Amino acid sequence: MAQNEISKEEILAVYPKVAETMADALGCDVEEVKLDVSLIEGLDAESIDFLDMVFRLERAFKIKIPRGKIVENARGDLPEAEFEQKGIVTEKGLAQLKSYLSEIPAERFKTPMKVADIPRLFTPETFCKLVISAQREAKAAA
Amino acid sequence: MMDSGLSGKVAIVTGGSRGIGRAIVELLAGEGAAVTFFYRDNAQAAAGVVAAGAEGGRAIGAEQVDVCDAKACADAVERVAARTDRIDILVNNAGVIRDNQLAALADDDIRAVLDTNIGGVFNMTRAVIPHMIVQRSGKIINLSSVSADKGGRGQTNYAASKGAINAFTRSLAVELAPRKITVNAVAPGVIETEMSQDVRDLAGEQVKSRILLRRYGKPEEVAYAVWFLASRYADYVTGQVVAVDGGFKME
Repeated sequence: MAQNEISKEEILAVYPKVAETMADALGCDVEEVKLDVSLIEGLDAESIDFLDMVFRLERAFKIKIPRGKIVENARGDLPEAEFEQKGIVTEKGLAQLKSYLSEIPAERFKTPMKVADIPRLFTPETFCKLVISAQREAKAAA
Repeated sequence: MMDSGLSGKVAIVTGGSRGIGRAIVELLAGEGAAVTFFYRDNAQAAAGVVAAGAEGGRAIGAEQVDVCDAKACADAVERVAARTDRIDILVNNAGVIRDNQLAALADDDIRAVLDTNIGGVFNMTRAVIPHMIVQRSGKIINLSSVSADKGGRGQTNYAASKGAINAFTRSLAVELAPRKITVNAVAPGVIETEMSQDVRDLAGEQVKSRILLRRYGKPEEVAYAVWFLASRYADYVTGQVVAVDGGFKME
């Protein structure tokens, strides 16, 4: 399911519960979990916090989020070899990433971008979209 | 003496129908923990443990799970979690032995030992940690062996699997420390169980001469160390391998 089909209304509908869940995982106030804050740079999230958030979102929304799902969603139909080479996101890959993470301001995409640095871009909105696509997949499978 | 904190805790113990595993199940349940143990194929022994628990008024449940099967582990852990809403303690005890000199080891002897002894630890731990991470607490205790550190003839497969457990324990302790989850191992020496019967029969006196205390250990003596690591007394202990081996000599 392409992300550009996710509307702002859908995002705002899940956002309050996503924010509350993420605040629990990060041990911060829910007000700090703004839709566009960088989780790593703005809220000091570490890798275990991302796991914690995913586990909590799975429970809160009764969905399954396979590990590595955000990057997989971002990559879309692009074969892995065209998305990244030796850990660096290709030009084509970067265009795809920018389109998937359309909520993130262009200046935050650095080049060259390492695949390992992609999570630095993630915001609560990224996770809202993750939840919505997981809900859609669950619905489609039902 | 303050309370061990085990009362009301939810514990999963693999390989719990016999030997050291059974002693661990009974000790933790005796302290008031709600224990579910997994067993692979000895349903009769498993039923005996559950029945003995019920007689003593202790909460012991059993599930038939092969720890080599990642999906079976994940499903069984979710069944326990659905019942109890949390998982506080995981004891990775299930293990097999297929001793032989390397040149004579069949593929299956290598695979079965590695898949069960270390593969099972991966399968179970990966299934349990989401619950512990969300809880921000948990105690994981892996059963290693003296053979992880001391060479023994015919034990390349077993020793490799137990050495892997020690390395796994230290790495995972680093990973999970931010969530206050402790990860430790207990490394028994020669313990009087069915599993060590062949070793004791074949090389009894020679083995005993290497043990400072000149006797084999009892399953409950290993269980006490697991009990300690699972209790609140060990809240400040992580990434450790505790030897319970009667002082097995360096060679």
